[in-house]
Amino acid sequence: MPRLLEPFAGALRGIGRVGDSVFRHAGGMAMLTSRTVTETLRGEVALRDFVDQAFAMGVQSLPLVMVTAILSGIVTSQQGGYQFTGSIPLYVLGSVVTSSVVLELGPVLTAVVVIGRVGARITAELGTMQVSEQIDALYSLGRDPVPVLAAPRILAGMLAMPALVAIANGVGVLAGMISAQATVGLGPESFLYGSRLFWHSYDLLYSLAKAFAFGFVIPLISVHMGLLTRGGAEGVGRSTTASVVFMIIAVLVSDALFPPLFLN
Amino acid sequence: MAIEYRDVYKAFDVPVLTGVDLTVASGETLSIVGPSGTGKSVLLKTTIGLIRPDRGDVLVEGQSVVDASPAELQTIRRKVGYVFQNAALFDSMNVFENVSLGLTDEEIRSLGRDEVLRRVSEALEDVNLDAPLVLGKLPAELSGGMRKRVGVARAIVGRPEILLYDEPVTGLDPVNSAAVDRLISAIAERMHVTSIVVTHDIEGAMTISNRIALLEGGKLRFVGTPEEFRRSEEPLVRAFVDREAAFAAAAAKSEAGHEGMA
Repeated sequence: MPRLLEPFAGALRGIGRVGDSVFRHAGGMAMLTSRTVTETLRGEVALRDFVDQAFAMGVQSLPLVMVTAILSGIVTSQQGGYQFTGSIPLYVLGSVVTSSVVLELGPVLTAVVVIGRVGARITAELGTMQVSEQIDALYSLGRDPVPVLAAPRILAGMLAMPALVAIANGVGVLAGMISAQATVGLGPESFLYGSRLFWHSYDLLYSLAKAFAFGFVIPLISVHMGLLTRGGAEGVGRSTTASVVFMIIAVLVSDALFPPLFLN
Repeated sequence: MAIEYRDVYKAFDVPVLTGVDLTVASGETLSIVGPSGTGKSVLLKTTIGLIRPDRGDVLVEGQSVVDASPAELQTIRRKVGYVFQNAALFDSMNVFENVSLGLTDEEIRSLGRDEVLRRVSEALEDVNLDAPLVLGKLPAELSGGMRKRVGVARAIVGRPEILLYDEPVTGLDPVNSAAVDRLISAIAERMHVTSIVVTHDIEGAMTISNRIALLEGGKLRFVGTPEEFRRSEEPLVRAFVDREAAFAAAAAKSEAGHEGMA
């Protein structure tokens, strides 16, 4: 090969490797999704496992989700108040805070919290089970890891995330309203008047649909990466880091796809 | 229940098994020895389809593991008890829950809790553990030797016809190693199971096995009775036997020295 073309060949090889990896992961996750649906429909998923996972993902994540929602509501309200004071009627702040929290901040920040708190834990937990042969032990005992380990986590994510986001939305808007009164003197009546002025009921559905999508993607990636783990403690660390990166990218990309798909 | 390996070939980045042919007769105890990284555990895992050979086949009582459907594979796995190197107990479950996983869901439902408890306790007593004492403990609360024995209890509670042991004495002190070896022999005799033991412990293999197979470089270099193994002039076998003999002699000398000092 001419020396001039060598850098291009290297770049093409790199693109090929990344493409191969993306397709292999996508294929693996498609298989996992299909198996999860099949095992769920066949009634192979134990209710107790599902409830345990829903509790760990939902109830135990609630304090951190609420703190994040309160802070995001306060910050949005304060920054909006700073920009609007003296230029735009302040009741518009109610609409800005409500729309920002419900359409974007509630679902995305809750997803980030769940990635850090739950997604990383799932990958590390299943990765450790993989490298310590516990997954092999399940197979050897004639048991399938999909209904026992994967499906309860994925189903729990799809239930817990919308619930968390609904709570985060309410708490975030409430915190924004209190903050608006404290910082720019906008009373609750004016804040709520502004909120209602540009409110569409569809916004809540949109927010919960995002939450449902994130609640599916986060455990799916974390379980998939956990089950792919190889190579001892170092391998668990590597796959947990990769899993967190993939989950953040997946959430941000699907978040970017929502407006063109559902807000037109 | 007999096991047959036919020209089993497996490569990861490099070839690990390069054509293994071996038959283990029903009720026989066969130990597989050899240097680290020669594919002993890989061969064991092909027996129940945890690793799929690139070429060749594994037959369990005449049924192909490679061509088995998922349902058939599950049926084969239920006839086999597998003891993992580090026991592979589930950290979040106590000993009772871990061992009862060796029973099928149907068995657990039909037996009822009291009978399941009796079966689990019986399996724990069979491996010389005090069932009332350990039933409620988590794996982290047990010693290495106890964890291995719980792993054996989980493997035998479903009354399998085949038992596969992956380095059952690795990491144990000589006293616990001997105890586990005695346990393997006792279980084989009592349950009339076919056993394959992957081990580095040649002395233990001599004691518990009907035959010993030496795996090296992905191929079987020797298969014979413990006596044939001990007398073999095959250089690889000699290297194993002599090293073990040298170690035993050094241990005996050291013990004699301690007694003299006392």
